[in-house]
Amino acid sequence: MDMVARQTFPTSLSVIALTVAGLICLPLLFIGYLALSADPSVWGRLWNTRIPELLMNTGALALGVSIGTLLLGVSLAWLLVRYDFVGRSVWEWALVLPLAMPTYVLAYLYTYLLGAGGPVEHLWQWWAGSEARVLSPYSFTGATLVMTLDTFPFVYLLARAALLNVNVSFEEVARACGASRLGVWRRVTLPLLRPAIVAGLSLVILYVVSDFGAVSLLRYQTFTYAVYQQVTGRYDQTAAAVLSLLLVLFALIFLIAERWFRRRSRFYQTTGRYRTAPRTRCGPLGTTLITAYLALVLGASFGVPAWLLVQWTASAAAEGAVDARFFGFVWNSVALSGLAATAAVLIGTPLAYLASRWPSKLNVACLQAAYAGYVLPGPVAALAILVLASHLIPFWYGTVLVLIIAYVVHFLPAGLQTMEPALQQITPNLEEASRSLGLSTFSTLRHVTLPLVKGGFIAAWVLMFLQCIKELPATLLLRPVGFDTLAVRVWLEASEEYFQLAAPSALLIVIVALPALLLLVSKDWRAA
Amino acid sequence: MSIGQQQREDPAITRRPLDERSHPTILELRKVGCAYEKGRSAIADISFSVREGEILCLLGPSGCGKTTTLRAIAGFEPVGAGEVYLAGRLVSSPDTLVPTEQRHVGMVFQEYALFPHLRVVENVAFGLHRLPADQRKAQVRTMIEMVGLTGLERRYPHELSGGQQQRVALARALVQKPVVLLLDEPFSSLDPDMTGKMREDLHRLLMETKTTAVLVTHDHEEAFAMADRIAVLNNGRLEQFDTPEAIYHTPATPFVADFVGQADFIPGLVENGTVTTEIGEFPNQVGYRRGTKVVVMIRPDDVHIEPSEHCDARILARQFRGSENLYTIGLPSGRVVHSSESSTAVYPVGSPVELQIIATHTVLFEENHPSRPPG
Repeated sequence: MDMVARQTFPTSLSVIALTVAGLICLPLLFIGYLALSADPSVWGRLWNTRIPELLMNTGALALGVSIGTLLLGVSLAWLLVRYDFVGRSVWEWALVLPLAMPTYVLAYLYTYLLGAGGPVEHLWQWWAGSEARVLSPYSFTGATLVMTLDTFPFVYLLARAALLNVNVSFEEVARACGASRLGVWRRVTLPLLRPAIVAGLSLVILYVVSDFGAVSLLRYQTFTYAVYQQVTGRYDQTAAAVLSLLLVLFALIFLIAERWFRRRSRFYQTTGRYRTAPRTRCGPLGTTLITAYLALVLGASFGVPAWLLVQWTASAAAEGAVDARFFGFVWNSVALSGLAATAAVLIGTPLAYLASRWPSKLNVACLQAAYAGYVLPGPVAALAILVLASHLIPFWYGTVLVLIIAYVVHFLPAGLQTMEPALQQITPNLEEASRSLGLSTFSTLRHVTLPLVKGGFIAAWVLMFLQCIKELPATLLLRPVGFDTLAVRVWLEASEEYFQLAAPSALLIVIVALPALLLLVSKDWRAA
Repeated sequence: MSIGQQQREDPAITRRPLDERSHPTILELRKVGCAYEKGRSAIADISFSVREGEILCLLGPSGCGKTTTLRAIAGFEPVGAGEVYLAGRLVSSPDTLVPTEQRHVGMVFQEYALFPHLRVVENVAFGLHRLPADQRKAQVRTMIEMVGLTGLERRYPHELSGGQQQRVALARALVQKPVVLLLDEPFSSLDPDMTGKMREDLHRLLMETKTTAVLVTHDHEEAFAMADRIAVLNNGRLEQFDTPEAIYHTPATPFVADFVGQADFIPGLVENGTVTTEIGEFPNQVGYRRGTKVVVMIRPDDVHIEPSEHCDARILARQFRGSENLYTIGLPSGRVVHSSESSTAVYPVGSPVELQIIATHTVLFEENHPSRPPG
C-alpha cells in the first residue's frame, strides 16, 4: 500500500510541477522565438546602429565595476579578516549595508551630489577655484562609480568567507618551503581566494548587466535601457526581443561562470583540522588609517546617501508631501508584493518538494527550469510577459495580474534557493517515523513536515516580498495606468529631478530592505 | 606464586643510539618553553637533541604540548624561554626568531595542506622556485618516482586518495632536502588499514634519503614502529627521552609506563633489601630505604597464569584478541592484574590461578610519585 502511495502521490504533483515549469520557461522561449524569427533586416539595422555601442557600453561598465569592486571588496575583506582594531566587528557587518540601497536610489542621490551646483562641485570649487568642474554623473565614470559603490559588498562577502576558510597550514607550509611573506600571498593566499573572487565578480557583472534603475537615471546606454526604450519609445517589440536575447546570452555566461567557480571553491576547503590565521593587532596609526578608509567607503556608499534621504524626507514631510496619496503608493507596493510572494511560495513548493524528495530527472529538470528567471533581467522579463499577455490573454493585459505573473517569474529563483535547502534538510526518515507511529500522510505533513520547513518558507516569502517592493523596470512597463508603487514614484520624481519628493519613498524602500539583507547576510555569516 | 628466572637479555640495549661522531647533532632544544598567553605555559623546560639521520617521535596525549614543540622547531611559535639550535645555528630564543622560510625545515601537516589550486607536480615543485627549470623538473621527477606517484603528476589534490595525498605532502617536503623533516600526526587522517603500509613506506623513504625527522604522534605503537628515540611529553613537560625499548621496559615515570602500554601498579613495601607485595617479592634495584612504600609496575606480557586449585587469585574476565588472550585476574585484596596468554590458552572465568611473574626489569616507583596516572 505504501508503494502505491509513493508512486501515485508524486505523479499528480508532477503534473503541477511540469505545468509550472513550462509556464515559467514560456516567456524566455517566446523571447527567443521572437528574436530568432525576426526579419534579418531588423538584425541588420540593429547591428549597424545600436548593438556595437550597447555591447561596448555594457561591456565597459561591467569591466569598470569589476575592477572597482575587486579592489574595494578584496582590500576590505583582507583588512577585516587579518587585522584587529577597535570597532572591527561593527565595520564587519556595516559594510553590507550598501546592498540595502537599490541602484536607482543611489543613482538618484548621486545625480544630486555630483550634479551641476551640487555639494561636491561646491566643495571642489572652494578648493580649486570657481571655474572648476567635477565629473558629470551622466557618464561612464558616474555609472561605474554608482554601480561599484552599490555592489562591492558581493565581492567583500565572498572574499571574506573564503579568507576565513583559508587554513593557515597552507601559508605555513609555503613558508616552510622557503616562500617570503609576499610570495605566500601571491602564490598561495590569492590563488586560494580566486574562485570566491571570480564568483563574486560574476555576481556583480550579472547585477550590472541586468540593472535598469541606475543606468536609466544616469542616461547611460546599456542593453537593459535600450530594451526599455524600444518598448516604450518606439513600440518595437521585435527589436526589443533581439536586444533581450543578446542580453540574456550575456547574462547566461556570467551565471554559468558563477556556478562553476562556486562549485570549484568547494575543493579549496580543507577537511580535518582547521586553524585560521591569527589577526595582526593594529596600533593607533594603523587603526586610524584603516578606520578612515572604511569610513570613506561606507560614507560614500551608504552613510551620506542615507543621511540625505533622512534630511529630505523630513523636509518633504514638513511640506506635507507624506499624505494620503503617498500612503496609497505604500499600499499598492505592499499589496502587490504580498500577493506575488504568496503566489510564488505556493507555486514553488511542489517544484522544490518533488526535486528534493523524488529527484528523478524530470523533477530536477522542472526545478532547474524554474531558475530560468535568473537570466531574465527585469526589463526582459517585463517585455516577455507583456508580449505574451498581449498575444494570449489580451483581456488581462494592463491588469495587476500580469504584473504579479512577471514578479513570480522574475523572483521565484531567489525564493527557491531558500525553500530548497529547507526541504532538503528533513530526511524522509522523519516522515516515515511519523507514519510508523500511526499518523496519516496528511497529519504527517501537518505535524512534521510543515513545522520543520516553516522557517525556510517564511524566509523565502520575506525575501521575495522585499525584492518585489524595490522592483522597478517590470513595474514601470506592466503597471495598470495610474497604478504607482514606491519604486516607480522614486524613479519618476528622480527623473524630473524632484529630489525631495522622491526621498520618502526611497527611504521607506531602504528601510524595508534591511531585514532581507540581514537574512541574506546571516546565511553567509553562518556559511563562513 | 614465584618470580621467574631471568630468561631474556635486557632489551633496553638491543637498539643503540646512533654514534655521536659519524652522526652529529642536527637539532637541539635547550630548556625550551612556550606560552600561549602570559602565565599559561604550553610547554616548559623541554630539552632533547636529534642526531643526523635519526627519527625522533614526540609522544603524548592530546594537549601535552607535542605539536607546540614541533611548531617551535619550525619557527611558527616563538619561544619564551630556552634555545633551539638547527644545524649548529641558534634559530629560536626569547630574543631570536629566524623566520620559517630561512630554517630549511620540511613540514608535513596532519591534513597535508596540499595546495588545492596546484597539480601534484606543481605542489612538489613549490619550494624549488629558485632552481633553474630543468634541474627543478629532474628533482621533482625523481622524488615523485621515489614516493610512487608516477602517473598521477597532472592530478589535483582532490582527485587523490588519502594515502596518495600524504605521499605528495612528503614529496613536497623531502624534495627540498630539509635539514630536518617535521611531521605532525602524519597518519591520523588515514584509514587504519592504510597506516601500516604508509608507516613502512615512510620509514624506508626516510632511510633512503637519510633524512632526519621529528614526528608527532599520540599513538605509542606508531612511535615504537618508527622512532630511533622517543620523547614522551605530558602537561607540557618532558617525562622521558630514550629508545623505544627503554621507554617500554624501563619507564621513568608511572605516566610513561601507563601511556605506552597496559600496565598494572601493585603496591609494595621495602623490607630486608627486597620489595614485598601480595603477589611476591621483587628486587629493590633502585635502593629505596627500608620502610618506603612503593608501587611495582607489571606489564601483562610479564605475567603468566597457571590454573591451580590452591590459589586465591581468580580469573575475572577474558578478552580474546586474536593473537592473545588478555586475562583480568582478581587478587585477594580486590586489586586486579592483567595477564597476556597465548591465543590457545583458554581457561574458564572464575577458575583459581597461580601467577608467575617474569620480571627481568621490574620497575619501581615511590607510591606518591607526582605523575602517577589516575586509578
